[in-house]
Amino acid sequence: MLKYSLRRLLWAVPTLVLLITLAFFMMRVAPGGPFDSEKSLPPEIEANLNAKYHLDEPLVQQYFRYLGQILHLDFGPSFSYKDWTVNELIADGFPVSLTIGSLAMLLAFFAGTSIGTLAALRQNTAVDYGAMGTAMIGISIPNFVVAPLLILLVAVYAGWLPAGGWDWSWQRMVLPVITLALPMIAYIARLMRGSMIEVLHSNFIRTARAKGLPETTVIRRHALKPALLPVISFMGPATAGLITGSVVIERIFAIPGIGSYFVQGAMNRDYTLVMGVVVFYGILIILFNFLVDLIYAWFNPRIRYEDHG
Amino acid sequence: MKTLSRIVVLLVAPLLSSLVHTAPLMRGLGPEPDSLDIHHGQGVSSLNILRDIREGLLTVNAQGQAVAGAAAGWEVSRDGTRYRFEIDPSARWSDGQPVTADDFARGWRRALDPATASANAQLLSAVKNARAVLAGTVEPEMLGIEAVDDETLKIELEQPVPWLLYLLTHPVSYPLSQNGSDDHRQGPFNGAYMLQSWVPNAELVLQANPHRSAAFTPTVKWFPVQDPASELARYRAGELHITETIPPGRYRWLVANLGRELQVHPYLGTFFLGLNLRREPFVAQPGLRRALALAIDRGKLTDLVLASGEQPAFSLVPPGLGEYQPQAMALSATLQAEREEEARSLYRAAGYSAEKPLRLQLRFNTSSTHRRMAIAVAAMWKQVLGVHTELVNEEWKVYVNNRRHGVVTQVFRGGWIADYADPSNFLDLFDSRSEQNWSGYASAELDRYLDTARRMPANRQRRRVLQQAEQLLMNDLPLIPLYYYVSRHLVKPEVEGFVPNVMDVHLSRYLTVGERNTQ
Repeated sequence: MLKYSLRRLLWAVPTLVLLITLAFFMMRVAPGGPFDSEKSLPPEIEANLNAKYHLDEPLVQQYFRYLGQILHLDFGPSFSYKDWTVNELIADGFPVSLTIGSLAMLLAFFAGTSIGTLAALRQNTAVDYGAMGTAMIGISIPNFVVAPLLILLVAVYAGWLPAGGWDWSWQRMVLPVITLALPMIAYIARLMRGSMIEVLHSNFIRTARAKGLPETTVIRRHALKPALLPVISFMGPATAGLITGSVVIERIFAIPGIGSYFVQGAMNRDYTLVMGVVVFYGILIILFNFLVDLIYAWFNPRIRYEDHG
Repeated sequence: MKTLSRIVVLLVAPLLSSLVHTAPLMRGLGPEPDSLDIHHGQGVSSLNILRDIREGLLTVNAQGQAVAGAAAGWEVSRDGTRYRFEIDPSARWSDGQPVTADDFARGWRRALDPATASANAQLLSAVKNARAVLAGTVEPEMLGIEAVDDETLKIELEQPVPWLLYLLTHPVSYPLSQNGSDDHRQGPFNGAYMLQSWVPNAELVLQANPHRSAAFTPTVKWFPVQDPASELARYRAGELHITETIPPGRYRWLVANLGRELQVHPYLGTFFLGLNLRREPFVAQPGLRRALALAIDRGKLTDLVLASGEQPAFSLVPPGLGEYQPQAMALSATLQAEREEEARSLYRAAGYSAEKPLRLQLRFNTSSTHRRMAIAVAAMWKQVLGVHTELVNEEWKVYVNNRRHGVVTQVFRGGWIADYADPSNFLDLFDSRSEQNWSGYASAELDRYLDTARRMPANRQRRRVLQQAEQLLMNDLPLIPLYYYVSRHLVKPEVEGFVPNVMDVHLSRYLTVGERNTQ
């Protein structure tokens, strides 16, 4: 197990280098540069800017300069937010995204698995159809529709909660967390229902029931853990996605997370910002997939990774 | 004694001002500022913050006009190339130090120093030796700015700049304290406010500068809001007093529901379509360009398609520049039906017909407003002339690059918002040597007019030369003016001191939040 984990971690290094290389050159292939704007700059000013940010060097030299910086965990200054370094922007924005994302994931996990289990136990009844119907709606309505609707009803008309902005108060977290969690709840509920039904039909459950165990014990002690497996493997990358911020949620609720840096960085050709977020996101994805593997092994003794694996 | 008085000021000033007004002023900012370094901040949001926390020799009043700021008075030489400023001896940095002439020289030298790589530096390019400093051929100390003593500043220009006084309200010309650091989020500041905190994409909190005597609203909070619809929601929920803009497509709803709070006013800017004269079909085809310009029904465009308060435009220079008379293109005063009649005959004369229609590409960057404009223009050209227009939507940077290089463009989305209130700011766009001349229009006659105007101080004669230049442009039509921009804000009834102006500059120091009006 230990050896397996170590090998997985070591593989992360070439994966990251590949990621950096691809992202770096793809960014540079895109037409236009960070200093192109509505007003074209006089050539002497453009030359000064290029010199300041080393954009006048050959691309390969810039690439190795960047790799060298990354080794020191220095993502460099942002091109479009000139007063900030990319490290500062991520350090300021990530805690916000992490908070909203984790809360949304927690909510989604508990609500989703409960609804899914309930639907599975009452399979093909009104409860099941109701829950799954609602889930279907939850998955299909995009959050850029849900968010303004919630704002209009809860903030503008009722005045119970603020319409947007951020100051670490719980009032400002409620609406974004709910909006972010809704499609996740729906997705997890469907996943949970499916796997629960499958587990309930398996031999070891039949055995447990035959031994005369009460139904709640059968569900809690025997069915829950295996039924959670698909949910767990889904949650790894999904959590990494949620805690790195959502562009839509951040835009609509004016939340200072790191999700919008991705899109804005790319639009502004803010090379350093895009690279910083890509590398950061890459590390998180690798980390979470690794964590999921560990949890998975702990949950499912049948596939515990052997050293020969 | 000096220290003691400073402590008293520090303690008493906020106390006094808090007695007068207590509610913080909450303003929508639009996009996150690109930089609060006076030499790097370019976007409107950066300029708005910088004008609150710093001040130049001149500043703007509530009406948007240039008035004395850190300078108490000034003299201009007869030829308009030498200025002498007296610095207001009571002007102070937020650390209590006096603002000196040296601070201005320090700021200007840094602006043009190649190592600073300031994108705003070109605004100061008329200062003596500015271009040479920028190119790195002479030292920044050679720049035409000199501190004679603490309170006297001399500026020397290479040619008269009639809008210089307005330029001195722009952050690029602001002073830098000798106690300032390279981190421009830190003080000292010399504006009415000091930057207290800044969380990117969340809020900027400004506190009144204790060394300024006037009593302002003590706290101003600026909120970056990227999405105008979110800004409107926050305004309606009572979280903002003033918005930066209104969402597209909501104008009529706002007129009906928040009409009293809606502030839509002329803004010094013109939206136009550019025509690339370096490529067919526009090389040496003034008749065809005129046909395309006449075929567009601007009234329909502004009233029905954009429907956000814009005004139809027939000239490049917008109204609102004092005594300057914008020069409209021919037939602007007649009915649209007559313009269309003329357009059809010009189109035929250019060799096109129903059998042999003109095929065009119209390029614009991604934006719902531009898309609506482009669809409407293409439909009008089709209806009136039978032109086949292909709409090409491009991502922002791709678009900016294509427009600049002029290799693939035919018709493209143009537009200009004034940097300073002078017609030359618009006309210079079509100087054959200008970086902004995306049409590739090259007229020796226009260049001559512009050069002549550059040597003249602001007077009636100069106005006449510039009007001739615009007349020439409206004859040759390297551009098709469509509409004049408007500024759009929502302002709560309890806000006092908001005065609409063509530059759309509203310093926080003139705004106060009064008692809530209950109707």
